[in-house]
Amino acid sequence: MTAALRPDRNFKYWLLAPAIFLMLLVGLFPLIYSLIVSFMRIDMMDVDTSFAGFYNYANLFQDKRLWLSLAHTLLITAIALPLELVLGLAMAYLFLEKMPGRQIFISLLVLPTIISPIVAGATWRLMFDNRYGPINQILGWFWGEPVTALWTINPYLVYPALLFCEVWQWTPFMFLILLAALSNVDKSQTEAAELDGAGFFRTFRRIVLPAIWPVMAIAILIRGLDLFRIFDIIWALTQGGPGTMTETISVYAYNQGFKQFETSYTAAIAFLVVLLLTVIVTWAIRRMGLAK
Amino acid sequence: MSGLPFHRRKGTRLAVRYVIACLLVVIFCFPIYWLFIISFKTPDEIFAFPPVWYPESIQFDNYKVLFKDGDAVSVLNSLILASSSTLIAMVLGTIAAYSLVRFKTGGENLAVWIISQRMMPPVAIVFPVFLLYVFFGWVDTYFGLILLYTAFALPYVIWMMRGYIEDIPLELEESALVDGCTRWEVLWKVVFPMARSGLFATAVFTFVFSWNEFLFALVLTRTEVTTYTVQVTHYFGGQSNFWAKIAAMSVLGTIPVFIAVATMQRYLVRGISMGAVKG
Amino acid sequence: MVTRRDVGRMGFAAGFAGLFARPAWAQAAAETAVAAAQQYRGQTINIVWEAGLQSLDPKNFSGPKWKELTGIDVNVIEVPVAEMFTKIMQEYRAGTGAYDALNVIPAWMPDLVNAGALEVLDPYVEKFGYAEELQMIAPTYRDNQMMVDGKIYGFPDDGDVFVLYYRKDILGDPALQAAYKEKFGTDLPVPPTTWADFDQLGQFITETTGGKPYGAAFFREPGYGNFMFQERFRVEGGRFFDADTMRATINTDAGVKVFTDWLAENKWAPAGVEQWGFVENLAAFLQGETAMTISWPPYGRWAAGYGTDEEVMSWVPKSTIAGKVGYALTPGGHPELAAGFALSVASSSKNKEAAYLFIQWLNSESVSLERVQLPYALRDPFRTSHFTSPEYLAKWPDAKDYLAALQAGANSGLLDLSLLQTDKYEEVLRQSVSRLWAGEDPKAILDDAASQWDAITDKIGVDAQKAVYASWSAKSGAYPKM
Repeated sequence: MTAALRPDRNFKYWLLAPAIFLMLLVGLFPLIYSLIVSFMRIDMMDVDTSFAGFYNYANLFQDKRLWLSLAHTLLITAIALPLELVLGLAMAYLFLEKMPGRQIFISLLVLPTIISPIVAGATWRLMFDNRYGPINQILGWFWGEPVTALWTINPYLVYPALLFCEVWQWTPFMFLILLAALSNVDKSQTEAAELDGAGFFRTFRRIVLPAIWPVMAIAILIRGLDLFRIFDIIWALTQGGPGTMTETISVYAYNQGFKQFETSYTAAIAFLVVLLLTVIVTWAIRRMGLAK
Repeated sequence: MSGLPFHRRKGTRLAVRYVIACLLVVIFCFPIYWLFIISFKTPDEIFAFPPVWYPESIQFDNYKVLFKDGDAVSVLNSLILASSSTLIAMVLGTIAAYSLVRFKTGGENLAVWIISQRMMPPVAIVFPVFLLYVFFGWVDTYFGLILLYTAFALPYVIWMMRGYIEDIPLELEESALVDGCTRWEVLWKVVFPMARSGLFATAVFTFVFSWNEFLFALVLTRTEVTTYTVQVTHYFGGQSNFWAKIAAMSVLGTIPVFIAVATMQRYLVRGISMGAVKG
Repeated sequence: MVTRRDVGRMGFAAGFAGLFARPAWAQAAAETAVAAAQQYRGQTINIVWEAGLQSLDPKNFSGPKWKELTGIDVNVIEVPVAEMFTKIMQEYRAGTGAYDALNVIPAWMPDLVNAGALEVLDPYVEKFGYAEELQMIAPTYRDNQMMVDGKIYGFPDDGDVFVLYYRKDILGDPALQAAYKEKFGTDLPVPPTTWADFDQLGQFITETTGGKPYGAAFFREPGYGNFMFQERFRVEGGRFFDADTMRATINTDAGVKVFTDWLAENKWAPAGVEQWGFVENLAAFLQGETAMTISWPPYGRWAAGYGTDEEVMSWVPKSTIAGKVGYALTPGGHPELAAGFALSVASSSKNKEAAYLFIQWLNSESVSLERVQLPYALRDPFRTSHFTSPEYLAKWPDAKDYLAALQAGANSGLLDLSLLQTDKYEEVLRQSVSRLWAGEDPKAILDDAASQWDAITDKIGVDAQKAVYASWSAKSGAYPKM
């Protein structure tokens, strides 16, 4: 063992201590607190701190709105994630080969990803306005007569609107990462495969995909988790409406906790979410072969 | 991209790629253009039907209002919160990462636990954090939000800096130790300078994440430290959507991010992919 | 103490008897407040105010003026109305004393009082001689938006009421009137006084003119739709609850009729009306695109062109219809006293007396008269003296008709529903409106809403809620007198 690898006594712990302390303070402590509160009955009017057993957890199962909000969350994730992945991949292929001005194009395409989701939502709110927004105007040119689609109110349009905004903001994220991953794929291998007469998709599946998978899997994981807790864009665009049609689990928990002051019940919801996420993430990490 | 497998003439292919690329840029940049342009419009232009695509003249009245009413202070608040928390997180995160890399403290388990903190859904902790902050009297204080943003940034900083520190050759540290440097001096004189570009890149992204945060700012601010993201939502609904203010405020909050990321082009991919791609 | 109490009593007596001449020794409440506030010079009070236009009053006018008079700084905390209740409750729970004075929507008052968030104001009113001027607030607001369980918790400070605005030139057009008479055999009603007439006329105008202008437009956005529903439901004869069982009765025929009529109206209203809020509706009316609309009082002032050249009003589209607007009660004659604001003191404030003195000063006869006349104000006349102020009456040619319509509305208006945890019930209504625009069946929506209301009532406790509902429905403005 070299000298640099041998730590002075406790030095290595001193280095870690402040960071760990902070993470525990805002990560673990609130979770424990939640757990305790979720077994009480605290709401706007009552502060009943006696042990209430599984009262709140039992209510979870009868709460139709909760499960619907979970379904909305999964629906958004299930549609947006593959779309972002496929579109991002296609765009990455487009820019894979050198072309003059390539870097300028890439810089411009990345802009949506770095702005705040709340600003992205606000922007699309302006875009989708039925009267003063340009979307209906543009559609009107193709349609031949004025279009007055109510993007955030019509139940058939609200999801397309949300997804459009979401995909618009995060496809560039996938694009950037996949472009970098594709650039690192060994060109001689793909060329050899194509010379052997393998088609594009065959080459992609046999050679490219295995090469880019580790990076792609992480990109999917990051986006998947972000989609699962989607809040900002919805807050800015629909606030969960019409009715509760676009209420996601985060929006619902916010409403219960900060609008209805159902303190204990919200804590129970929070725990359900943590539990679900732990299961999903563990499964995903195993499944995608990320665990090392 | 069905065009790829076919062997068309090179010129045609390049032209097609250009057309598609331009189309994509229009699609992805038009909303941002629209946001910017609304902020320069007069009320009559904003409420014109059909919408007008560019204003008669560029005027800054919408921004003047924000500064006159003091709303623009929220950008300053965001700046203070994001930069302070970034600075602290970079220091604490880097030394923690150093410990993880050089001494394998806590092994792989600790590293995985740290990154799993990044995966925690905010909605699960926002409510207890609120109650905790109420208890300590940290609501609506710079201290409270800086503490929170620092803690949120730490997993990312540690994770990213771990990668950059791994790239530093061990020999340099050893020779410094042999020269009689203390452990802290090694950190300060060797590790920090060597990881300079990584530090800088990580800091920029940490800054952007804190800068764009909304949910906790919504819950934990009242008036003193309101961030620009919360301020933007103040213009929704009520008596009206204050379109001009929404747009102008958003632009004020977006320009710093554009500048920050423009300086960091080279590290962009590594930064947003959490180090999965080494750039 | 005894003498103070006596003064208070005399003040009450004077107010009730309508003897407005003040005894020579009584000081105006504004002056009392300013004099008493001198001891707090150099301090700061934080007041919660609705974000946006509303807060221009304390930021541009009353705050600076109070600072000049007393040396007390006023820090305005702007909160969007949808977040206000939440923030006030959160802050009360937090107990940091960040808020001193509050703007409170009267319907929330019982909840905030029950939680303990509001300070009882009676001792202060007595101490600073405000009883007399308090009694001079217009009766509707004074009697319904000030007290909980017989104690004063807030000063009514905003005479919010819906008004029917109509274009006198369009409804008075002889050609249109002739065509109307020919088609329906009756005279064109100027203005319509029932919803049947209103709908018939509105549809007729849209069809006759081909949508230039449309017959009418409304608030349809759920937040405001809630108020519109509450008014119209009761005008159609609806009752919110069965007073004996406390079961919700919003899914009765009256409720279904309101929703069904709304859907029918949307067919002849401007396309996209479903998402209209305050500004969309305002812009359309001011630009002459709609012949009738229903809204709060500020529309009337801006339509007359009053104050819209102010810089801060630049976001309001220019009025093209000044001088052409008539004011009337909404169809059915019982407009909603929608929302409104009262001024309260936060129980967690560390500076209660200074906060109190500020709101007494704001709310007093002389200062409030100035405030309701601010061109950019969203505060509407709420004192008897505001309706009869010679200065206000002379603001624009039709100002007397305008003030008369407001006063008539205040007298016959309907109160917002106010129970324990009102916001939860209203949230259900807001979502119901939202679901209506999403195309669901009116009856199904309201059945669902009723069962949600029942669930909320059960959770709160049927007996507790029943008692609160009974005292609310005993108020003069709870249900129209049929």
